[in-house]
Amino acid sequence: MILTKNRSPAVAAAADDGGAAATAPVKLQTRREPERFALIGVWAIVIVVFSFATDRFLTTGNISSMLGSQTVLLILALGLLIPLRVGDYDLSVASTLGISAMLVALLNVNHGMGIVPACIIAVLVGALIGAINGAIVVKFDIDPFIVTLGMSTLLQGVLFWISDSATISGISIGLSNAVLTGTILSIPVDFWYAVVLCAVLWYVFDFTPFGQRLLFVGQSKDMARLNGIAVGRTRFLSLIASGTIAAVAGVVLAGTTGSADPNSSSSFLLPAFAACFLGSTTLKIGRFNPWGTFIALYFIVTGTTGLQLLGAQNYVQQLFYGAALIIAVILSKILRQRNDRQLQNDARRAALATAPGASQPTHQKETA
Amino acid sequence: MSTAGHAPTGAATSGSGTDVLRVAGLVKRFSGVPALGGVDLAVAAGEVHGLLGANGCGKSTLIKVLAGVHDADEGRVSIHGSEVPMPFGADGLRARGLSFVHQDLGLSASATVLEHFALDHVAARGSMRRIGWGAERRRAAALLARFEVAVDPDTRIDQLSPVQRAMVAIVRAVASQEQLAEADGERLPQLLVLDEPTVFLPSADVAILFKLIDRLRSAGDSVMLVSHDLDEVLEICDRVTVLRDGRNVGTRDVPGLGRNELVELILGIQIAGVTRPTDGTTPSPEVAMVTRGLSGDRVRDLDLTLHPGEVVGVTGLAGSGIEELTDLLYGVRPPTAGTVSIAGEEIARPTPATMLAHDVVLLPADRKALGSAPRLTVLENMALPFFAEEFRGGRLRWDTLRRQSQDTCVRLHVKPADPAALFSSLSGGNQQKALLGKWLDTKPAVMLLAEPTQGVDVGARQEIFRLVREAVAGGASVLCATSDYEQLVQLADRVLIFADGRVKDELTGDQITKDALTTAIYAGAAA
Repeated sequence: MILTKNRSPAVAAAADDGGAAATAPVKLQTRREPERFALIGVWAIVIVVFSFATDRFLTTGNISSMLGSQTVLLILALGLLIPLRVGDYDLSVASTLGISAMLVALLNVNHGMGIVPACIIAVLVGALIGAINGAIVVKFDIDPFIVTLGMSTLLQGVLFWISDSATISGISIGLSNAVLTGTILSIPVDFWYAVVLCAVLWYVFDFTPFGQRLLFVGQSKDMARLNGIAVGRTRFLSLIASGTIAAVAGVVLAGTTGSADPNSSSSFLLPAFAACFLGSTTLKIGRFNPWGTFIALYFIVTGTTGLQLLGAQNYVQQLFYGAALIIAVILSKILRQRNDRQLQNDARRAALATAPGASQPTHQKETA
Repeated sequence: MSTAGHAPTGAATSGSGTDVLRVAGLVKRFSGVPALGGVDLAVAAGEVHGLLGANGCGKSTLIKVLAGVHDADEGRVSIHGSEVPMPFGADGLRARGLSFVHQDLGLSASATVLEHFALDHVAARGSMRRIGWGAERRRAAALLARFEVAVDPDTRIDQLSPVQRAMVAIVRAVASQEQLAEADGERLPQLLVLDEPTVFLPSADVAILFKLIDRLRSAGDSVMLVSHDLDEVLEICDRVTVLRDGRNVGTRDVPGLGRNELVELILGIQIAGVTRPTDGTTPSPEVAMVTRGLSGDRVRDLDLTLHPGEVVGVTGLAGSGIEELTDLLYGVRPPTAGTVSIAGEEIARPTPATMLAHDVVLLPADRKALGSAPRLTVLENMALPFFAEEFRGGRLRWDTLRRQSQDTCVRLHVKPADPAALFSSLSGGNQQKALLGKWLDTKPAVMLLAEPTQGVDVGARQEIFRLVREAVAGGASVLCATSDYEQLVQLADRVLIFADGRVKDELTGDQITKDALTTAIYAGAAA
């Protein structure tokens, strides 16, 4: 997983040309930033500890169940990542997931529609929900936190209404076959779907202009606009993307359970946020990134599964997710500040070293 | 840097016994560079004292020291004859009878006048006490009536006119001081510091504000008025103190003081070594950008023509419209009237995106919030305009982008020339050079610069001038809006003087001197 834009070789190489430019570029000391890999290290330790604590932990069955069981959550978190990258919150993803799963069940079971068109309609409805969120946020310039909070509650109401507050089961076995039954390396295929989505997001974020626009809009909307980025359209599209991907997660949920339960979806929201925020403390500190989210989520899953194998009750999941979110936010703040300070010191030292004599410290110009 | 030998040069005298505020030998350095090099100042009871000086003279720093924003390095400050130990703490000299009204007034737009007054009144008595709204309303109404400010206490701040807001802020400051004095049992004359309160006021409203200041003076209180506007200062003040380069260059009684004498005090002797550009660039007769009747919030009815191969400077006092001009030309906010054309083509709806598409770029004054993404790398910041063209074969060519930004950094002496460095880790001058380099790499037809050397060290400043002149020699057209006269002398081929949102004067070529600029600016403001 080479995620950082490889920094050093080009920096040193470009020093030779430049002709007239007398100043040789300063190469900063390589910054290893070990914090970037801290979570992976902790994850490894957790795995080792549980392997010794219980022999049921490091079994093919358990590993496959750990990886496979949280696919819906991983897909949902990856969808959420897109608006987070733009600096917007989408609190309606879990309800969108619920609506999508319920639509698949309703159309397929109650209305006898084929499973494929039912799934397509469910995903389109997810996109529509995202579009409505986006249109309100952009058109009226309202904080998406509030808009999507309202949308989330509204969708919960719709969910209970269309389902008569009852679980609908008996979804066509075709969907289960597509997401669950097949395995690769004894892990259900839906896990691999999520891995592919992860790779796609990585590609979009790091190797397309659209991904860079998301990043700049997330840093400063005013600055992005001054640089010609269509800020409104970018935010709109990111909310459509999160709605669509949440609906896909809903379809996968319907396939794995073969039914739709109106009560199940809301429990996905906090874990998805926890994974995204904890993920932003790893690999690329301070940035929401897909592989970081992947690692964070499976770190949490490993922890909760291990504790449950040791006899802990179900509530450890909530304990774990809640604590992970809070700790992640604190951690990312501390790491970022520390990192900034170090970089600043490095740069100052480098600037002083290259400017003999002319090393005037910058002073803020008086604005009378 | 020396703090010795700062003999008061003031011609005016006042009995020290009646001084509300006395400042002696105040020194404040930033990173070793003195912003205040030993300032002496005395404000007597019952006077309106003007504080004047050109940009960068140290006025703001002095006010900020008194207000507790900065701690002074050396010097003595006494109030009513008793010395105040330094540092003053975060509250500055507020607890000792000084109150401050800054240009932004410090009012909350969505709260009412009554809520502002009640907040101050109640805050002193503990945060969980019940607010008696009836009593507070009567108290607020009485205060406003006493100062003859015709404002209903239940009005929201954003429903008030600018002058009403200024007056509410002043009454509020005075009232909270009185409240402190009541608690102490005796009421000494207080000192109200007004930091450029008239900048955004129409001239008719300034008279209303001055009536209020006059009323305070009659009550025995003192006012220190910080202003750029010489005529206003001559009208209302009893004495003025002029700062230049962080020192007091004179305190004068206003009666008998001429306008020219005041300008001379502010300017001082010309600083040697400032030279006109000698690159021999001649503006092309072609037209890069034209506006017709362009208007915004402050700018009125602007007809402007920019030619390739010239630097057009734009300057004026705060509030003259120069702050808005670059935004208006770049389409950051839609104009209220008028048109913008680039290379003969009228732009129907100017936005930053359409302007960029027409090779117009903006280097905004607020580098941190608008110019850059400080939390991203130098590479990402510099690559921003090139993402679309470097997206080839289905992926961004980071290697090309990195090489390009690396080359630009080396060429422009950006230190460190490391594209992977975090943008915020660069110094102000290096940040500005990197951003300038980013735009220069796009080969712009028109470059709009807003205060391009703000917060930039001396060395980088000269390099930025050189880069801008090089771009101009290459056929670019540059508009530079700044209140830094020296910069205009060094950089501009012609300078437009703004006042009240309009072009009042134009200087070209060798006419552009600091002296001529200052004279033209103050003449423009007076007209």
